[in-house]
Formats: sequence, structure tokens, C-alpha cells
Amino acid sequence: MDHPRDVPDDPPPFLRTWKRVYVAVMIYLGVIIFVSYLFTRAFR
Amino acid sequence: MRTADWIVLFGSLISIIAYGLYRARGSNTVDRYLLAGKSMPWYAMALSIMATQASAVTFISTTGQSYVDGMRFVQAYFGLPIAMVIVSATVVPLFHRAKVYTAYEYLEQRFDTKTRALASIIFLFQRGLSAGVTIYAPAIVLSIILGWPEQLTILITGATVITYTVIGGIKAVTWSDVQQMCVIFLGLIAALVTCILLLPQSVSFGDAVYLAGAANRLNAVTTRFDWNDRFNIWSGLFGSTFLFLSYFGCDQSQVQRYLTGRSIAQSRLSLLFNAVAKIPMQFFILFIGAMVFVFYLFIQPPVLFQSAELGRIHNLAAFQPVQSDYQQAFERRRQAALGLVEARHNGDLAARARESAEYRSAQRSLDDVRIRASRLVEQSGGEKDFSDTNYIFLSFVTQYLPAGLVGLLIAVVFAATMSASSGEINSLATVSVVDLYKRYVVRNGTDHHYLRASRWATLLWGACAVLFAGFGRKLGSLIVAVNIVGSLFYGSLLGCFVVAFAFRRVGGTAVFIGMLAGEAAVFWAFKFTGMSYLWYNLIGCAVVVVTSLLVTAVSAKPATQSTQ
Repeated sequence: MDHPRDVPDDPPPFLRTWKRVYVAVMIYLGVIIFVSYLFTRAFR
Repeated sequence: MRTADWIVLFGSLISIIAYGLYRARGSNTVDRYLLAGKSMPWYAMALSIMATQASAVTFISTTGQSYVDGMRFVQAYFGLPIAMVIVSATVVPLFHRAKVYTAYEYLEQRFDTKTRALASIIFLFQRGLSAGVTIYAPAIVLSIILGWPEQLTILITGATVITYTVIGGIKAVTWSDVQQMCVIFLGLIAALVTCILLLPQSVSFGDAVYLAGAANRLNAVTTRFDWNDRFNIWSGLFGSTFLFLSYFGCDQSQVQRYLTGRSIAQSRLSLLFNAVAKIPMQFFILFIGAMVFVFYLFIQPPVLFQSAELGRIHNLAAFQPVQSDYQQAFERRRQAALGLVEARHNGDLAARARESAEYRSAQRSLDDVRIRASRLVEQSGGEKDFSDTNYIFLSFVTQYLPAGLVGLLIAVVFAATMSASSGEINSLATVSVVDLYKRYVVRNGTDHHYLRASRWATLLWGACAVLFAGFGRKLGSLIVAVNIVGSLFYGSLLGCFVVAFAFRRVGGTAVFIGMLAGEAAVFWAFKFTGMSYLWYNLIGCAVVVVTSLLVTAVSAKPATQSTQ
């Protein structure tokens, strides 16, 4: 059973560093929760 | 089912499987069979992760959940992006660099063989049980809605999944998942558009959204904290983060998807795609359920959507007043809904408030009658805690969607079943061969030997899933138990991996004791508290970490003293 070969750790295709991508995902989560909250209030 | 439906159904399924097998050519080494030779692009892994997570039951019951309880369920996914970021930043590079086939293989590198064996057996136990339920649950819904023999549905689904999973390995599973997700997206969009088009001429899309909101069906966010409330923003953000961390960090059925990536970056992108896409997708599915609710404001639905149970209680004397009250409540709600739409069009605020109160009151009356009908089912020998939520969406599909679209939506159910089931069977076979067979039975076999063992293990787990599904009716409430079993074990597994990644000083024995303590704590919470299952993962994980650290601290002291 051969082990898979080494795997490179490339930078992301956008925002240059992974840290920035993670921050962007967290901001996205905040926005989506806020929009869902507004949606709930608007149609309550 | 009309001719067009059969053509669409079989056309979709055959093309999915043929494409999966075509892309899986050359899976003739263990590395290629179990990890696709580390060659998968991020988008294929992303859709495969999504497909494996979304079983048919999730899809069928989510729409029904929204129909009866609104869109609150979407909050259970608020923890997903947080979990995906943590897994991408920590677990993905570690697993890739450790060059493992399974998540549990890493535990031996970090701790010892007994921790690896315990984690593998926990996984095989919980995932082995749920593989049967994945096949059985949609089969029973299809058998009642379409009148198909349950065993035949189980056999067709099981045989198809086993065939392409055994032949093509993870490549076939992944590429089939991609096709299956395309069919699922197509079917869902078609269902929503058709549902809106079927509304009365006088009711616009804006009116439909307004009516759904007025009946509290668009309650996507609830901020009130309650331990026993399954879905609120707090259990979603904190409880479900731990659930998804467990699922994507420790469950081989998911770990194996992103281990097939050609680089760490590709694996991360596949997870982060899910972090971004999953909440809108769930929102969309729940919104379909809310629109089905609006559709049934104007077309009278049956008292209960589970036709077999409804047929059984139909001739009981106690059912006649229920039916009569239901008729009245429905008509009252329909009039109130039309009145509310008219008041909205006229901009008459006083009439709006009046009609809104009447509409909600009528909805409560209708809900009460449905509860009475459900109790009648239970009292007349039906299943306990009867619920027809899983039957709502497919009842709507089969009765009101045009020819061709019914076939497409049934293909969606099959596709969701096959994608979830193939991922489970494939990962069960991988853990059986890599973590147990290769470790304890044949330690120095050839690559060809382990490839054959992997194919046989896939066949065996597939057969077990079909057998278990075949006994589903006799097992009855075990399905509920199986769902609970998953949440009972995930927390301890997660705790084990958290200790592995974050606390270098902790050894195998300490984490092993920690896992046992974590399990005891979760079973205590399950037995003696009524808290939502989403919290079990947090409790289990916390107890494993704290106990492991305590055991390490206590066992380290005498050693230090003796050295001095």
C-alpha cells in the first residue's frame, strides 16, 4: 500500500493569504445572519 | 407517475451512474481507489461534500419542517462556516502532511494503537447503522406516496450504489455526487418556480411571501435562548459549530472527500465553498417549504399527509368530527388569507391588522385539528409521536407538479439517497481495511491484495446497509435511536482530535480515559436532561479535553517527584 506523494500548500487564488480568506468567510457569516434577522423582522 | 416521469427518472439516474463510472477509469491501486490518487479538483470535492451531507431525508423533511414550523431550522447551519474555517486552518494541513488515508490513522501517529482502534470502532458502529437508515428512510416515504414496494425500492437503490461504489471507488462516488448535486439543484429550482406559478392569479409572489411571514413561516432567526429549544441562534452558533467540527474533522465519510484533493489549497477551497454555499442552500430549501405552505392556503390539503395512516383512521367514528372541523378551519383560513391579501393591496392598515389576527387564529385552529388527527393515529394503534412532516413535500410534488417534473423530483430523492449512501459505504470500507484489516489481520500484503480487500469491504458494507434497511419496518423507532446515536459519539471523537492537535503533552492513555469520561457525560446529559442534541457535542468535547489534561497532570506529578 503506497502512501500518497507530498502535497504542496499553495496560497489561495484570491485575497493572497488564507488568513484573509478566513476573515472574509467570518464577515460573510455575520452579514448572512444579519440579513436573515432583517428578513425575519420584515415579514414577522 | 406518467411516461415522461419514468423517462426523466431513469434518464437522470442512468446518466449519473454512467458518468461516475466513466470518470472512475483507472482506479486500479489502493491510492487511486480510496483517495483518487490525490487528483480531485476543489469543485468536485465541494459538491461531493455537499452531496454526502444532504441525504434524501434531510431534503424531504427540511421542506416539511418549514411547512409546519417555519424556517428556524436554517440556524442549525450557522456554525458551519466557523467549523469550516477551523478545519481548513488546522485539520486539513495536518492530515495532508501526515499522509493518512483515514482520520483515525493519524491518532496512532499521535497517540497509540488503542486510541486509533477505539475511534475506528466508534465510527464503524455509528456510520454502519446510519448507512442502513439512509437507504431505508426514503424508501418508506416513496412506498407510501407512490405505492412502490418498499423492499424493491431498497434493492434498486442499494444495488445501484453498491455497483458503482465497488467498481469505481471514491472517484466514481465523487463524480456521481457532482452530477447528483446538479440534479438536486435543478429539481429544487423547478419545484419552487412551479409552486409559485400554481398560486391563484390574485396572489402575487410578494403576497405569498407576506402570507408566509404572517403565519410565522419565515422565522429564520430566533434570538431567545433556551437549552431545550433545538433551533435558535445560540444553539446554531455554538452547539452546531461543535457538531460540524466533529463531522468534518473526525468523520471519515467527510474527511475522505477532502483528502482526495491534489493540494492543501484545493481541499481548503472545497470546504470553504461549503462554508459559503450551505446556508443559502438550506435557506432556499426551507423557503420552498414555506411556499408549499402558501400553496395549501388556497388548495385544501388532506388532514394528514401520510396517506396510509389517514386511510386507516378514515372510517373511525372519532374521525368524522375531526374532518368536519378541519373543513371549517381550512375555509376560515382561506377567507382570512384572501382578506389579508386584499387589505395589503388596498393599503388599509386597520383591515390588515384585523385580517392578520383572524388569519393567525384560523391557522391555530387548523393546527389544533391536525394535532387531534395525529393523536387519533396514535390512539388507534399507529406509531407513537406520529408526524407526517416527511410526507408533505412529496405529496405536493406527486399531486400538483406537471409530467416530467415529478420524475425529476423523484430522481432528486434517489440522487440524494445514493450520494449520501455511497459516501458512507466507501468510508466504512476504507476504515475497515486501513485501520483494522491492514493493522491487525494482514500487515504486509501487496497493493493488489488491499485493493481487492477494499472492493470486498465495500460490497460487504453495502450488503449490510441493504440488509439493515430491509429490516427497517421491524426495527421501527430504531431510526430515531440511530439519529441520536450519532450525536452521542461525535463529541468524544472531536475531543480526542482537539487534544491531538492542541495539547502535545497529553498521551494515549490520558485521552483514552478522557474519551470514556466524555461518553459518560454525554450519556448522562441524554438520560437526565432534556437539552437539544446540538449541545451534546460541546459537552462531550469539553469533558474529553478537561479529563485528558487532568489525567496528564496527575500522572506527571509522581514522575517529577521521583526524578527530584
